[in-house]
Amino acid sequence: MTDNTASAPAAEPMVRIEGLRKSFGSLEVLRDINMTVTPGGVVTIIGASGSGKSTLLRCINLLETPDAGHVWFHGADLAAEHVDVNRLREKIGMVFQGFNLFNNMNVLDNCTLAPVTLKKMRKDEAERVAMEHLDAVGLADFARANVANLSGGQKQRVAIARALCMQPDLMLFDEPTSALDPEIVGEVLEVMRGLARDGMTMVVVTHEMAFAKTVSDRVVFMDKGVIAEEGAPAQIFGAPKHPRTREFLARYLED
Amino acid sequence: MSSAPSGDRPRGRIASFILDDHRYVLLGTSVVALAGMLLSSQPRPSMSFLANVFTVELAMYYALAAWLVVSAVALVFKLTHWRTYAETAPFAKPAVCRALRYASYAMWAITLVLVVDRVVMGVASAWSAAMAAESRPADDMLQSMCYILWNGRDTFATGLATTIELAVFGTVFAFFLALLLVFCRIQTVDRPDNDFVRFLKVVGSGFAKVYSTVVRGTPMMVQAMIIYFGVFGVLRGTDLTTTQINTIWSAFVAGLVTITLNSTAYMMEVLRGGIESVDAGQMEAARSLGLSQWQAMRKVVFPQGIKYAIPGLSNELIINIKDSSVLSVIGTFDLMFANTTVSGIYYQQFQTSLIVTVVYLILTLLASWLLGRFARHFDVTPEPFGSTSDQMVKVEESVEAVPARDGENHRRGWGQGR
Repeated sequence: MTDNTASAPAAEPMVRIEGLRKSFGSLEVLRDINMTVTPGGVVTIIGASGSGKSTLLRCINLLETPDAGHVWFHGADLAAEHVDVNRLREKIGMVFQGFNLFNNMNVLDNCTLAPVTLKKMRKDEAERVAMEHLDAVGLADFARANVANLSGGQKQRVAIARALCMQPDLMLFDEPTSALDPEIVGEVLEVMRGLARDGMTMVVVTHEMAFAKTVSDRVVFMDKGVIAEEGAPAQIFGAPKHPRTREFLARYLED
Repeated sequence: MSSAPSGDRPRGRIASFILDDHRYVLLGTSVVALAGMLLSSQPRPSMSFLANVFTVELAMYYALAAWLVVSAVALVFKLTHWRTYAETAPFAKPAVCRALRYASYAMWAITLVLVVDRVVMGVASAWSAAMAAESRPADDMLQSMCYILWNGRDTFATGLATTIELAVFGTVFAFFLALLLVFCRIQTVDRPDNDFVRFLKVVGSGFAKVYSTVVRGTPMMVQAMIIYFGVFGVLRGTDLTTTQINTIWSAFVAGLVTITLNSTAYMMEVLRGGIESVDAGQMEAARSLGLSQWQAMRKVVFPQGIKYAIPGLSNELIINIKDSSVLSVIGTFDLMFANTTVSGIYYQQFQTSLIVTVVYLILTLLASWLLGRFARHFDVTPEPFGSTSDQMVKVEESVEAVPARDGENHRRGWGQGR
């Protein structure tokens, strides 16, 4: 990791995780995780259920509090006591498996709530920005729609637009397509591909191996709370070194 | 949403029972006719208008009797032709059915006239007799109750007004206090908080917990005593005279404070239940965007939680109407206190309590009707939350959505014959 700092400033990692540990009661979910995310990079985290993928992701924006270790984001340690985590979260967008759109607002208000509240943006200005992002995910016509009346794929695309309205530097995706019909998965993945093309830094927890293979520039395989193997997609999917990686991928290729 | 192919709107259950031909017309109207005959056999009150036209009442009585005879014949026919009733009975023919339906309207009308003559006029006679009476009529219970109600009207009115004031103001004050307390209760230590804020949050949430446990774990009657006499004792320590203290710290004020503090604890729990039933993902999503705990609570979680809490909150008003009765123990002049006072004057505990029971019942029914309208106005239909299904599972719930049930009910039950 230290050799990265020697190169050009552009390669300075946006996120650097060091010695991260997290337990729920007696269950050790994360055991000494070390990882970096470079600006513009797309990192996918794969692994079996219960391997700690989602917890790792949630530690990056501190929805879970780490027990030990550091999470550096733009040079600030999120895991430090009393850090203004709200400020830092403004720069980290997150998309959830269960969409979590605000049920008491329409689509547009979902998108403008944070910019208006936190960036003190004028309402009409925030709406203009929100409409751009909604248009980009193909949902401009649904701006005044009730959240409850959207399909799952539409909800997830609104969730992405909502996160983008804060102009984040980093986007976290926590199994964004796991709750969707197979037919609808494509429309969400397409939006994510577009984001990656535009140079957004992304960390994606997913079971979509095709997406991991084609879009990400680094794949992290997690097993039982540790990073068993990480590397370029071609290497992980083409010539996995760790026996658990091979076992895991073999099961996916069977289908 | 109903998908009836024709423009025919399906009738409600009662409208269908009255306006449609169905097999229960004989049975249903027989009950009404029987009630009418029983009323007719009651002694006439002094203001009865049918007393002047005795022949009319006699004709009405025989009409009702005739209906019962026809019904009895139909019943016998039914019992003897159990399986073939629908085909063979003359009562099952459409034309006869229609005729019976029109005849049943006449039976209803006759019974209604008898109800007015005996019941309404009976109450009116009792009322006028009671108002004219020098002392409480001892032998007639209805007259006696009318006498008690009329002569104790000022006491009852004061009690009623106090009960309403206690319930309404108590509930409203308690709601705002409960809002305050629930925000203390749900505070959790957040990462950006400094040590002072953390201390406040721990103390606030601890206080709310203890408050709720103590208040909900003790009877309101005892709380009223503690508050009334406790504050009274404290005020005695000042240079105020007892008369001055009684003006400032009256039984009404003490009662209002008691009911407010008591209701606060319950409403806080209702609000907490509403807030906690909001999917945790809502809070997480708001926090992930950078909103603080307070902002997320105020803009996202609370507006949803209060919707879930509205039925429970409005229920508190009805509970307070009833529970304010225990405040009479400290001398708050509510409806229960009026009951004790008036029954002490006439030595008629049962009759006075019966009057007060009816008044309480009217109050609670009125309150629940108003609150029901209020809740509908705010469109309180909790939506399924935490749904991860891709399908739109929004179910439009309305009464018209199940028109099939009316017909089904007639087909089931008595007289099915199968």
